Amino acid sequence: MQSNEASSSMDVDTVSSKAKVLPPKPKFKPLKPHEMASGQVQFRKVSVPPHRYTPLHKLWMEFYTPIYEQMKIDIRMNKRGRKVELKTRPDTPDISNLQKCADFVHAFMLGFDVIDAIAILRLDELYVESFEIKDVKTLRGDHLSRAIGRLSGKGGKTKFTIENATKTRIVIADTKIHILGSFANIKVARDSLCYLIMGSPAGKVYSKLRAITSRMAERF
Amino acid sequence: MANTNNAGAEALRRLKEVDPPSLLAPNPTLSETARAASQYLFSSIRPFSQKCPLDQLLVDGYDAEQIWHQIDLQTQPLLSTLRRRVNQFVKNPDEIAQLKVPSSVAKKVEAKNHEEWEQESDDFDEELDEDDDDEDDFEGVEKEEKNGGSDGEEEEDDDDDDDEEGSEDEDEDEEGEKEKGKGKDSGIEDKFLKINELNEYLEKEENNYENAEEADDGDEDSEEDDELEKAGEFEMDEDDEDDDEEEDEDDEEEEEEGMENARYDDFFVGKKEKSSKRKDQLVEESEDSGDEDDMESNKQKKRTASTHEKQLEKIQSEIELMEKANVEPKTWSMQGEVTAANRPVDSLLAVNLDFEHNVRPTPVITEEFTASIEDMIQKRIIEGLFNDVQRAPRLPSKAPREVKELDDNKSKKGLAEMYEQEYVQKIDPTSAPLSSKDKLKNEASMLFKRLCLKLDALSHFSFAPKPVIEDMSFQTNVPALAMEEIAPVAVSDAAMLAPEEVFDGKGDVKEEAELTQAERKRRRANKKRKFKADAVKRSEKKARSEKKEDNAIPGQVNG
Repeated sequence: MQSNEASSSMDVDTVSSKAKVLPPKPKFKPLKPHEMASGQVQFRKVSVPPHRYTPLHKLWMEFYTPIYEQMKIDIRMNKRGRKVELKTRPDTPDISNLQKCADFVHAFMLGFDVIDAIAILRLDELYVESFEIKDVKTLRGDHLSRAIGRLSGKGGKTKFTIENATKTRIVIADTKIHILGSFANIKVARDSLCYLIMGSPAGKVYSKLRAITSRMAERF
Repeated sequence: MANTNNAGAEALRRLKEVDPPSLLAPNPTLSETARAASQYLFSSIRPFSQKCPLDQLLVDGYDAEQIWHQIDLQTQPLLSTLRRRVNQFVKNPDEIAQLKVPSSVAKKVEAKNHEEWEQESDDFDEELDEDDDDEDDFEGVEKEEKNGGSDGEEEEDDDDDDDEEGSEDEDEDEEGEKEKGKGKDSGIEDKFLKINELNEYLEKEENNYENAEEADDGDEDSEEDDELEKAGEFEMDEDDEDDDEEEDEDDEEEEEEGMENARYDDFFVGKKEKSSKRKDQLVEESEDSGDEDDMESNKQKKRTASTHEKQLEKIQSEIELMEKANVEPKTWSMQGEVTAANRPVDSLLAVNLDFEHNVRPTPVITEEFTASIEDMIQKRIIEGLFNDVQRAPRLPSKAPREVKELDDNKSKKGLAEMYEQEYVQKIDPTSAPLSSKDKLKNEASMLFKRLCLKLDALSHFSFAPKPVIEDMSFQTNVPALAMEEIAPVAVSDAAMLAPEEVFDGKGDVKEEAELTQAERKRRRANKKRKFKADAVKRSEKKARSEKKEDNAIPGQVNG
């Protein structure tokens, strides 16, 4: 538009002297994440619960390597404050890396294995959903214990079955339940867990799982 | 008799006037008077006590005890009869009013009494024992009154009472018998009647009856008393003209009735009843010879009853029965609608009722029935013809879905790997792993091959050697003989273990027990040396691996 106007104006004003030459449009490179926040460094701090302190200590290298090498994010452990701190580097490729790393670390703190939590770094649409048993059904005392037992099953059998069938990972921490997986899978796993909390026997949940997963597998 | 009577009365009177205290001391004169008085009393009562065997009280030279016993003999039966009579009056007080009848002549009274006696005795055959009792009571009352009355003056009153009683008895006699015609005075012995014969017959009968019935009731006793009385009566007749007259009167009465009012009924109907009563009860002998003759004739007639008469009797009895049944109310089963209240309990069980059954009667299980069923079962089993319900074949609608087995073990792959696999499957379907269908196919083919091999080996027709499958499997060291037995040709013993494989050792091998102490020590020392060497190696390995880790470039991604 401006050029047209300029040209038209140019055409109109031929008597005047030479037209002004506008400077060329600037072409900017896309902002680096580093510069996005006006050159400031971004931080994430994830607190470490006491029961994950020792595992973190053991598995630090497995922790550290993917974050530093592939995500290009600085990571350090603040022992005094019991926090893991993440910081962007100038050569961090993507601004979402920091968030992903933070989610990864958070998932580990919730109780997931490093191998499972690393999937967060690799896939985009993996989420962690947490809920409590009391959100589903108010249970007290023995009933609560029994519900937790029902969820895990003998030797964790039921939990593994749900994990395998729905391609999710489940962490049962006392009364809190965390599910890691894609959205649809989380839903299926959540439904199965809710049935278990509400009292269905494991066999029934298995049959439902079987039906659902076979249906899901057929789609592909 | 009259002098003695007067003396006796006199003695009685004197006794009465005696002071009681004077009786305490023994006094011969008093005893004389007492004996005379008791004798008088005895003889005065004698006419009414027919059962007593004593004619008069024997007093001379007898002890008080003996005299007392004689009196007792006379009075005991009298008392009982009198008591009965009093009870009779207690029941029917009206009779007492009828008792008092003005008396005129003692004889007449006595005659009447005797007549009444005889009448009643005749009536005994047809009446119940109560009449006997009546008469006994009547007589007993007489005696009692006589006993009670110590004065002879009262005898008249007694006679009056007797008259009244006699009249009462007359009134009580309801059955009109021929003997009601009393007061006929004509006591002449007939050619038919001999008093002596009568007496003999009576005594005979008495003895028979006494032997037969010794412990009978008072009724029979009363009857016996009556008989005795009748016997005594007849004995007295010998003594007293009046009695003879009375007897004759009785006899005549019967004879007169037989002569004047001779009807068939008099002879046969009445006599029949009399004879029947004789069989049932003790018949009074006062029926006399006339009755006896009649009865005998009756019996003869019964024996020779003609057939027509017998039939008649039968039919008559049947007719009577039927008429009786018709008159009576019908049985409940012949009445119309009968509810449970109108019939006796459980009466339906006895009656065969006929009603419609809506239910088929249950089959009676007999041996034949079960045998027939069992035969059928056996036949079916042999044929194999069971009526089994066969399931209708279900048409296959869809291809069976591939069932994914749920794995309840902890997955060895990480979550990332799983999604990676999924992604790869999506992108590149060819690289998809074998589905379970293929697995099943493989398994099936493998099974079939094995089966074919076995069959070939057994048949020896087409030999195909076992496919060589390089797999790590345990070789069993089975002796060749066993193998060859099972499959003679196809199996060779090349697959078995070689001797070196069985034992790979050098030198002299000794057992645990054979080792000497030095050898044991040596063995232990070698073991220790080996262990130490291994430990050193392990530690070196560890150190090396740690160094490697430290020197490793950070950033290498695992997996």
